[in-house]
Amino acid sequence: MTVIKSKPLREIFKILIPFILIPFSVVIGAIISPERSYLYVSLAVTLLSLLLFISGFDRKQTGTRRMVISAVMTALCVIGRFIPVFKPITAITVITGVYIGGESGFLVGAVSAFISNFFSGQGPWTPFQMLGWGIIGLLSGMLSRPLKKNRWLIVTFGTVMGMLYSFIMDVWTVLWGGGFSAELYLAAIVTAIPHTVIYSVSNMIFLIILAKPFGEKLERIKLKYGI
Amino acid sequence: MEILKVEDLSFCYPGEKEPVLKDISFSVAEGEFLCLSGATGCGKSTLLRLLKKELSPKGDRSGRILISGENIDDLDSAEKIGFVMQSPDEQIVTDTVWHELAFGLENIGMKREKIALRIAEIASYFGMSAWYDKKTSELSGGQKQMLNLAAVMAMSPDILILDEPTSQLDPIAASEFISTVKKLNRELSLTVIITEHRLEEVIPVSDRIMIMKDRGIAHLGSPRDIVSRVGDSPEILASMPSAAQLYHAVDGEGQCPLDVREGKRFIETGFRADHTALTSEKYTHSEEKALEFKQVFFRYAKETQDVLDSLSLTVYSGEAYFILGGNGSGKTTALGAASGLLKPYSGSIRVFEKKLKEYKNNSLYSGCLALLPQEVETLFLSNTVREELIDAYEEAKMLPIDVDTLLDKHPYDLSGGEKQLIALAKVLSQKPRILLLDEPTKGIDAVSKQRLAEVLRLLKKNGITVVAVTHDVDFAAMCADRCAMFFRGRVVAENTVREFFSDNSFYTTPINRMTRGYYSGAVTVSDCVELCRLNGVRDGAAV
Amino acid sequence: MRSFAEYNPIAVTLYFILVTGVTMFVSDPIFTAVSFLGAVLFTLMRGGEGQLKRHIFSLILFFITALVNPLVSHNGVTVLFFINDNPITLEAVIYGCFNALMIVTVLYWFSAFSGIMDSDKLLYVFGAFSPKVALVLSMALRYIPLFSERQKRVRSAQTAVGLYKDGNVPDRVRGGVRVFSIMTTWALEKGIVTADSMSARGYGQGRRSRFTPFRFYFCDFLLIIISVIATAVSVWLTADHKFVFYPALQFPSVTVTNLLGYAAYGTLVLFPVINDLKEEIRWRYLRSKI
Repeated sequence: MTVIKSKPLREIFKILIPFILIPFSVVIGAIISPERSYLYVSLAVTLLSLLLFISGFDRKQTGTRRMVISAVMTALCVIGRFIPVFKPITAITVITGVYIGGESGFLVGAVSAFISNFFSGQGPWTPFQMLGWGIIGLLSGMLSRPLKKNRWLIVTFGTVMGMLYSFIMDVWTVLWGGGFSAELYLAAIVTAIPHTVIYSVSNMIFLIILAKPFGEKLERIKLKYGI
Repeated sequence: MEILKVEDLSFCYPGEKEPVLKDISFSVAEGEFLCLSGATGCGKSTLLRLLKKELSPKGDRSGRILISGENIDDLDSAEKIGFVMQSPDEQIVTDTVWHELAFGLENIGMKREKIALRIAEIASYFGMSAWYDKKTSELSGGQKQMLNLAAVMAMSPDILILDEPTSQLDPIAASEFISTVKKLNRELSLTVIITEHRLEEVIPVSDRIMIMKDRGIAHLGSPRDIVSRVGDSPEILASMPSAAQLYHAVDGEGQCPLDVREGKRFIETGFRADHTALTSEKYTHSEEKALEFKQVFFRYAKETQDVLDSLSLTVYSGEAYFILGGNGSGKTTALGAASGLLKPYSGSIRVFEKKLKEYKNNSLYSGCLALLPQEVETLFLSNTVREELIDAYEEAKMLPIDVDTLLDKHPYDLSGGEKQLIALAKVLSQKPRILLLDEPTKGIDAVSKQRLAEVLRLLKKNGITVVAVTHDVDFAAMCADRCAMFFRGRVVAENTVREFFSDNSFYTTPINRMTRGYYSGAVTVSDCVELCRLNGVRDGAAV
Repeated sequence: MRSFAEYNPIAVTLYFILVTGVTMFVSDPIFTAVSFLGAVLFTLMRGGEGQLKRHIFSLILFFITALVNPLVSHNGVTVLFFINDNPITLEAVIYGCFNALMIVTVLYWFSAFSGIMDSDKLLYVFGAFSPKVALVLSMALRYIPLFSERQKRVRSAQTAVGLYKDGNVPDRVRGGVRVFSIMTTWALEKGIVTADSMSARGYGQGRRSRFTPFRFYFCDFLLIIISVIATAVSVWLTADHKFVFYPALQFPSVTVTNLLGYAAYGTLVLFPVINDLKEEIRWRYLRSKI
């Protein structure tokens, strides 16, 4: 990574790697061995990229206050559900990414996924969810400048991210169910429609309601305490 | 030996024209217990933070701070200076007690074996072995603050700085905390610098007191010396022990009394006792019942014990009714039940002679009953005081503070006392006929307490019934018409305020303790002053 | 000696990774069956509340996943019958059952793992490779009960100033948002106190050390060695034993070498059960002497 001099470019690569590697390894795996191995290759790659991200953060200097804010936002993700069942993880992760930075966004997304699975059940899907939400946070941080300017841009971005997230997780559900096929995927998406719709709508509502006040609160904290 | 020396220290926050601190010089000897006092906003918190490098605020600083002869900027002070703040909850970083104790030691890179030994020592010294494995969220407020102290002491600092450490604790936990600090000071020769709202406990254990005023040091010296010199500034006097307030109120001369024992001697040797009691009118109340509990039972969960155990009480319209009692006696629960937030499983509660159930659709909360919660922050929704007061500006104008200077501030940037009053204004905008207050004096300074008392008097004059739950006996003595003592979920004693405190032996005001057996029915400083004046100075006494 | 749950969390984590790894990666019904046996026995042995629910859930999950495969996958040569002109094949049914068993087994192992690993242990394992993430995790775990408590208090305070007056759905949502918003401000503002408290105790100044109540004993090393060797041996000795589901089922016969490999994996998955049984017996004996 240190070969690439430009920082934004490096960031982009960091995101592209899991995004390219995972589907790529799935395809390669599927070609080489017809059975389940692509699933496991993708699991291995996910774990590896999670490890890479996390160890990258660990070496960086993060301000103490920034870390505390990440922890606060994570806890809010886990307990904040005023529309029953649906947690505002995507919304809060996006907001954190935009206002505090991609690194905190990643941390909040990944750690929230991990903790909330303690209540809803850990499984082999945990690393995928961690990486998925983590990357949403990271992307929000990278796009923070345009996103900050317009509330509706954040709302759109967050909603799209939430939907993408569920579609990608559906792929994984299908893989897990015995092998990938277009019909099965379509079936999974169709059965998940009510869930996805409620999820996306609640996500949108969260963002419409929360984006502005959260932004103000975070900006104030940043100003007052010099983050 | 000097452990801390401050030379010509001035400090100005960025963007402010006036400095908060100007030309401050003082020094502290090793093993000294120094108490720092001054009105809210006098810069004492800023001064304390400047003494701890990691917490130094940003801004223009001039002058020098020397720790054991070394400049503070060239020094890693994490280990050398311990700092304990107000809030018990937010200072805790990790989720378990053992990890909290180890946290600071991990930060300075101590070896594992040494950490194990050190936290074993600390847990034993503070008597924490029993809760070593607990989650920090399961501790009581007093235990949490003790854990914060222990976690700081684990790093074995030379200087311990405490910024209003007991302001969020109940009196019993507070006095336990102060005596632990004193024990550390005496047994380890630990240097202590402390600020407090309640000086009653701290002054007797302090070696020196420093009073700050007008950005500088107004007085610095031994407690007796300082306390006898603060008579001219009412806001500082208000935080002093009752005995000292009495001394100044009667223009005492000679040695100033500091605690109950000395106060008693001061009264008995100084004043005659020809009239032992004040003539007071018989207390009458209106016939209308504002709040009535009839054999109310409540518990939080099926398997737990009753918190309200056949509670019955009556509050009459227009009176100020104060509920006192220890932790877990059911005081706050009773308030929750009265406001309809908690549902008793048996018994009935009536507000203005109408059952709670009959107030449909939360109509209870408009024009009838309002509750000021313990944590007033729970009421603040907006970014400025102006927005908070949109519907409550009229009420706010009535308060004894200049609201207009606060309008553009963020509610969280206000002092404890200001927050309290703004929250009160918000609650009053519901135009309640009965106002419930939960620990209204928690975390506010002595002057704010007097202001609050003023507001309550005003409310009473407007015919509003006040029911308050408090640990603060002085405040109850100042404001109440009648008081009730709670114990294990029911009322064990109930009487008009003078009789109530005169009948109690332990749970009473310092003034009542001082005058016990000499005068009867004196509960506040002003009661005692009146009695002293009435009786006159004893012949030949130097008062 | 200790019960399996008391082994060093790193050793336990490694054990779980290897056991579930083999279950998931090696496409061999014998492995899956052995692993299933170990997981269920261990779950039964640990007991605890909600056992029955767990088993019923697994059973339902098994049937659903087993059914899905033959409905969508029409590979295989042995046609059993037709549904809407789509052939249902024996191969697809069997593969579906096998796959469902694998999923159920992995979930059993995961639930056993989460049952053993409390937050202290997880933080210890996390901290081993990322102290910073472990600290954020620890702080978040500390904040969750704190904030829930706060949320309750904000809700009561707001109710008493007339929130939720109308009691309909939009009012409830609006109320929920208000409570959440107030709590967020509170959490963020007070979070700064936590940050100060961390800095005051020297966080972020230099190299951190790590204190944990966990130690590595000889038996922890033993567990790690057993796990690694048993996994390697079992995978290696059974490498030539390939099950084929499609297009037609082919179950090659099991050689003695293969059998040794399965036995090695069997020992591994039964390790917790055997260990805990031994402990139980030992403890009964010791207690009888008290």
